Amino acid sequence: MSGDTHMIHFSLMDAYRLGIGYIRRRFQRTAINVASIALANSFLTSLALSDMFYQTYSAIEGGILGVDAYQYWLVAVALIVSVVGITNAMLISVYERTREIGTMKCIGALDQHIVMLFLVEAVIQGTAGGLIGYFLGVLAALASVGFTTGFDIIFKVGSLDLAVFLVGTTVMSIVLSIVASLYPAWRASKLSPVEALRYEL
Amino acid sequence: MSYDTVIELRNLLRYYQMGDESVKALDGVDLNIGRGEYVSIVGPSGSGKTTLFNLIGGLDKPTDGNVFIDGVDISQLDAYELAWLRCRKIGYIFQSFNLIQVLTAVENVALPTVFAGTPTNEGTRKAEKLLEMVGLKDRIHHRPGELSAGQQQRVAIARALANDPAIILADEPTGNLDLNTGMEIIDLLHGLNKSQGLTLVAATHDLKMIKASDRIVWMRDGQVEKIERS
Repeated sequence: MSGDTHMIHFSLMDAYRLGIGYIRRRFQRTAINVASIALANSFLTSLALSDMFYQTYSAIEGGILGVDAYQYWLVAVALIVSVVGITNAMLISVYERTREIGTMKCIGALDQHIVMLFLVEAVIQGTAGGLIGYFLGVLAALASVGFTTGFDIIFKVGSLDLAVFLVGTTVMSIVLSIVASLYPAWRASKLSPVEALRYEL
Repeated sequence: MSYDTVIELRNLLRYYQMGDESVKALDGVDLNIGRGEYVSIVGPSGSGKTTLFNLIGGLDKPTDGNVFIDGVDISQLDAYELAWLRCRKIGYIFQSFNLIQVLTAVENVALPTVFAGTPTNEGTRKAEKLLEMVGLKDRIHHRPGELSAGQQQRVAIARALANDPAIILADEPTGNLDLNTGMEIIDLLHGLNKSQGLTLVAATHDLKMIKASDRIVWMRDGQVEKIERS
């Protein structure tokens, strides 16, 4: 082995290509995770936007319309439920892939590459869930507020505010998805190749 | 015929703790395997074949003793160096193929080249060439689920060769195959051993596989019982 640089390579792009493969082949589970993030995010978005719409409306027309504070607690609960759900789904995914993880380690993967693989999937799920959730949330906010304020309220609030909110909630969704996947990814990476290869589902 | 040594096992011990009891899976194994040699490891289940396989492959650490691969004591390597060794020096073939289900045949074969840092085009070309060599030229874009057991094992053999390893380790490679398919796989492995000078170490029950080998190492109770030349 002398004279060689002893390098092991596995780029984000490689992880992404594999991750896309897993998502396509196990689409149902991914879809459930994405839906869970999307629902939680749409709940948050619709509530916050309703508030924003009401305030914009009140500022123009006068009045004191708004959203009750306790509803934000419901949003927090929804977000926690979503994180727990994703953690569970990712753990199942680790069990399903135990042998493949063992195989990957046999052909040169390091622990961190396995973690990377799972986190790349988490980011893809979080992004999809975040974007879908945002647009569902906008629609839901309009549906619940529009009859009072008029549907053109969306053009009266600042488009910058909407954009910032889009970016903010998407980032939040990605972070939640990563948080939910950290433990399963860590578990997967610590599997010894011998035990992983012997594993029967 | 004499070989220069590629695998050297020195007083290899591997004990497992099972509750209060210490199980001696390997109990003092000394063995040299030469470059280009084809060695079968034979023995009843529980004789230590798989443990030996895992230790030679750098998948497990010995309780005591040394495993030298190309003169390097692999029990001294850290996780990073071990990964490199598994990636570049050793090709694994398993009873249950262990292909990545979401990848096509050519992607499976190219995967070790990804870890080795080969540029994607080059790795893919290499994978195509290897798949052609194992007789799967028209199956390269199929997924494992769309291939027969024999074809899957051919993909696994191609994958094992992807980084031009010094050693091919095979654990019951014909164990999940019917008679004829098993025979084809044996011929393929034997051919590679002869034509390319690959060192082949196979744990097996398969008589035909044993017959094709240069040496047979009989294991019993964690020790080498006898070594036969065929």
